[in-house]
Amino acid sequence: MRRNFFPNLILIMSFNYSNYYICIDYDGWLNIKIEHSINCKSEKYCQRGNVSLKSIRAGTSVIEQIDFNQQHIDELKSLAELDGFYSIRTTVTSAENNKGTEFLSSMKAQAFLENGLSDVINAWVLPSGGVIAVSFQTTNNTQSIHHNGKAFKIYSNFYLRHIDQAPVPDTASYIQKLEREREAREKGEMKDNRSFLAKYWMYIVPFAIFVMISGATNPEPTAQATR
Amino acid sequence: MGMLSIYLKPNFLGLLKFLNSVNWCIVLFSLINLSECIYEDQIGKFDWRQTYVGRVKFAQFDTVSTAKKIIVATEENVLAALNLKTGQVMWRHVFESASTGNIQLLHVSEKLVTVSGSNPYLVRRWEPATGVLLWEWSLTLQNEEYAEFSEWWVQNGLLVHMLPIFGSHIEVSMYNLMTGQNRGSTSKLPAIWINEGCALSVPYYTCISGEAGSQQILSVDVTSNSVQIINKPLSDLVQTHEGILRSLDGNSIIPAFILNEKKLVIIKNNQFEVTKVALGDTLASVTIADGTGEPMVIQTWSDSSKGFHLKAHSIATGNDIPEIHCTENIVNIPDPEISGTMCTKSAKDQLVCRILVTAADDSLQLMQQEGKILWSREEALANVVAVEFVDLPVSDLDAAIESEFDQKEGSIWAAFSRRLHTQYQQLQALIQSLQRPEGTKEEDTSPLVRDYFNLHKIIVLVTDVGKIFGMDNLSGAILWKLYEPNLDTEGVVMFTRRSARHPPHDAYLTIVGKHEETSNGLIISLNPVRGTLVGERILHLDVQVMQCTILHQTDNEKLHALLLLDKYENVQVFPQFSAPLVENMFLYVAEKNTAKVQGYALTYDGKEVIAQKTWSINLGGDSNSRHRIVKVVAKSPSERVHSHGKVLGDRSVLYKYINPNLVLFVTEGPDPIHKDVVVATCVDAVSGVVAAAQAHRRARALPLAVHTDNSLAYVYYNDKHRRTEIATMELYEGKQRWLAAGAAFSSLASERAPGVERQAYILPAAPTAAASTDTERSLTDKHVLLALSTGAIVEMPWLYLEPRRPVTPSPEQREEGLVPYAPELPLPSEAVINYNRTLHRINSIYTAPSGLESTSLVLATGLDLFYTRVAPSKTFDLLKDDFDYYLITVVLAALILASYSTKYFASRKMLKLAWK
Repeated sequence: MRRNFFPNLILIMSFNYSNYYICIDYDGWLNIKIEHSINCKSEKYCQRGNVSLKSIRAGTSVIEQIDFNQQHIDELKSLAELDGFYSIRTTVTSAENNKGTEFLSSMKAQAFLENGLSDVINAWVLPSGGVIAVSFQTTNNTQSIHHNGKAFKIYSNFYLRHIDQAPVPDTASYIQKLEREREAREKGEMKDNRSFLAKYWMYIVPFAIFVMISGATNPEPTAQATR
Repeated sequence: MGMLSIYLKPNFLGLLKFLNSVNWCIVLFSLINLSECIYEDQIGKFDWRQTYVGRVKFAQFDTVSTAKKIIVATEENVLAALNLKTGQVMWRHVFESASTGNIQLLHVSEKLVTVSGSNPYLVRRWEPATGVLLWEWSLTLQNEEYAEFSEWWVQNGLLVHMLPIFGSHIEVSMYNLMTGQNRGSTSKLPAIWINEGCALSVPYYTCISGEAGSQQILSVDVTSNSVQIINKPLSDLVQTHEGILRSLDGNSIIPAFILNEKKLVIIKNNQFEVTKVALGDTLASVTIADGTGEPMVIQTWSDSSKGFHLKAHSIATGNDIPEIHCTENIVNIPDPEISGTMCTKSAKDQLVCRILVTAADDSLQLMQQEGKILWSREEALANVVAVEFVDLPVSDLDAAIESEFDQKEGSIWAAFSRRLHTQYQQLQALIQSLQRPEGTKEEDTSPLVRDYFNLHKIIVLVTDVGKIFGMDNLSGAILWKLYEPNLDTEGVVMFTRRSARHPPHDAYLTIVGKHEETSNGLIISLNPVRGTLVGERILHLDVQVMQCTILHQTDNEKLHALLLLDKYENVQVFPQFSAPLVENMFLYVAEKNTAKVQGYALTYDGKEVIAQKTWSINLGGDSNSRHRIVKVVAKSPSERVHSHGKVLGDRSVLYKYINPNLVLFVTEGPDPIHKDVVVATCVDAVSGVVAAAQAHRRARALPLAVHTDNSLAYVYYNDKHRRTEIATMELYEGKQRWLAAGAAFSSLASERAPGVERQAYILPAAPTAAASTDTERSLTDKHVLLALSTGAIVEMPWLYLEPRRPVTPSPEQREEGLVPYAPELPLPSEAVINYNRTLHRINSIYTAPSGLESTSLVLATGLDLFYTRVAPSKTFDLLKDDFDYYLITVVLAALILASYSTKYFASRKMLKLAWK
């Protein structure tokens, strides 16, 4: 009995998601380890946090990140003075890719500080499930650095971006359109079997009026022409 | 009446509606006019075509036909006939570029026979006068393994095919040339002594075999019925124990070979005979020609000190033939190779020779006996790898005027004296121009100067062999050439580091390539107008170059510094003192085979420029996904954007996403479900952020893409439907501007993703190259130029590629001028810019702006070169070619005359009236 439970659950889930149109052939978990280059004692990069996704298809993420302390801020400030970059290294692991792929992204330290340590993380996923890029960008945040006792909180938004399937030349709808036009034409020809006068009276009447008026106003010209 | 108006009104509205629906028809008709074509009398007026054949592989003189010519077969798989007098192509056949078109044999006697392909081979006979194919038959070898070593020749009307199987035997088959019938069976000559170092001197096959120290030289006539091996110890011929054989070049008439690059050995009466002829150089190209009476040895070589040499000796006596002699340094032909010779006796019993020489720079020269060049062809131009259009400098007079108005400071008196001085100069120039006699043409003496519309430019072409050409774009004439044998042109790039707009400084162009042997960076700096080396001249770096670019800022000599990122991520700046100018510089490096892209920020830290890696992405997903980058297109650095938005039918504005740092990557890779996928990714090269991406399933990428303004297009092959398709994308910010008008765009401060409009169209042809037109201010429409495998270049308005084309257009969309969607792109013959001049194997199209806003200059390269100019929005800023200046002058003059005469008559009438 217990064994049957799991496949049912999966079935329900897939029913749920078939409503979405996400062109991804593969689903699985994804883990993004975030490391940054400030306040690391001896190594170049040290832990900043982690983003984990249960399902790539669902795209819901859990972000865990450390809080910055004063040393972090000081180091960022010294970087900002030189107009330097705050670099973040990410390692993406998934069920298929155990070894992990490394990505590097940078933000201007100045902008990161000014925008209250808030950033946007974008991860682009291929239809096959492979991540091609993880990029960090500062967001326009007006609030200054949020000081919470001793720690400074980082505000991160994570977006999983699926690479869409490109459109293909739309021959079907074009042919349909041609069909429709042809049908409309045929219908139009069938319907329009009114008499000549009924169809074109609006052109004939003004012409007739014009002829009448011009005939009424100057009957002499013919006589004058002989002069 | 009131009733009538009631009846009329709805119908009148209907009429209006009808007219409105006709609207898009009007748009369509106006589109038909968009396609440019030229009138018959304009042929060759703005365009030229140069036909090439490629590096000559085989050449023979055709002396039988009435029109004397040289038949050549080339490395580019081209069979052509060249006029003996002028060197022009009389006829030409372009075979397949793959190994199926490979020419194995060229035989010219009364008939012209070629063998081409590689198993199956095609034997074809051509009419030498017209190049018409008379017949062909195919030939398939059973033993395909050694087919690459096979040799072909024609002997006594039989086609001989020899296949040496090293260490075992020689297979010889003979075929009737006319019918293809095999004369008996393939004969196998047992010869265990043959190896890779053997030389063929028809019909003898000669080898050196045996243990070191006791080597034998063996030779066999492979076509004779009785197998007779000529055998001699090597030590009988030369003193050394080692032996290297080399065949002769250029259709030798006597079987002979060169032993140890020193001795010329002929085979006579089944005997080896060492001739008395001394070879001038170890690399000399030697042939034996019929000197009308006695055979003679002609050899040619070049050395660094004295240049080109040409010598001839009598084969019997070894005496120098003084009539054919050239040691003077009159020509510079690097590593000459004799392709063919023809000698006759003239009426005065003088020896008249024509020697066809192919050089290491792929040039082809026809020489007279004294080494005088009758004509030469630059066949290197059949393989152009990089092109740059360079502006010409302004004339001295214009430069003086410009400098006069440039100087803002100074007192009024200084300005006055300058004014007087320049006017004096102008007066002098005027007098000089008047004094010049009528007959002398100005062209000969005048320097190359910019014309009023800046249509006259210099095209700098870098070719595959490392020869650099400067070409006049109006005539196609070669102005200068420079051969650099060490230049490996794979991935070569060219930068105009200083245009000619800054007198007194000359234009400055830098070519960054690789060294042939070491793959280290090789930088060539030259003056593109004169072709002389300047600045760094030829600089040989001691490290491999990963990426290079030029600085945006100029130094005080108006020179853009060259930045190189080497393999160890160090930055080199040329010239060095420009290093402090490095600011906000970003570079990206894309690895073709792993699809990994990395970005660097370059900063100057007070001492040197350092590169900091700021981003890295992996377009294939992970490193073992086997994705590879097929094409990378960035925007042209000189590109301008004229309008930031598009006005829609409802009078709102759709703002374009214009990011100058955006780069399109087209990658291709295997997919577990969909066979192959093509992924197009737009990456901001400064921040490493992906702006947009899309994937095609079951498709293969082609290296053709266009990226301009906010629009992108790339071509791929749809495997599912087996057709070529073109995908187009346009990036938009939306109805609202992200930044205030005039605000500078910053890649590092924009986190919003653009909206993407996408569409795909069927391209009913096989494209080989793509480019977009380029005009000075981008006011003119953008057209995409597509080179097709049929040899046509089609001008495609962007309107057709527009991704926003609706299937059923709404009235607003009609008003906006969107063409209703049709899945297939039209390729009308009127849109072919090279009209009936077919261009073979076009591999690139280069465009450049001219001084006229309407006009864009186009150069297509491939086997042929084709130059023309296109006007995507018609020549709105130029009077028509056939504008009647005479008529308008007459009309104006008549009007003026008439107005004055009527004035006179009117005043007379007034006077008369007043007297009444």
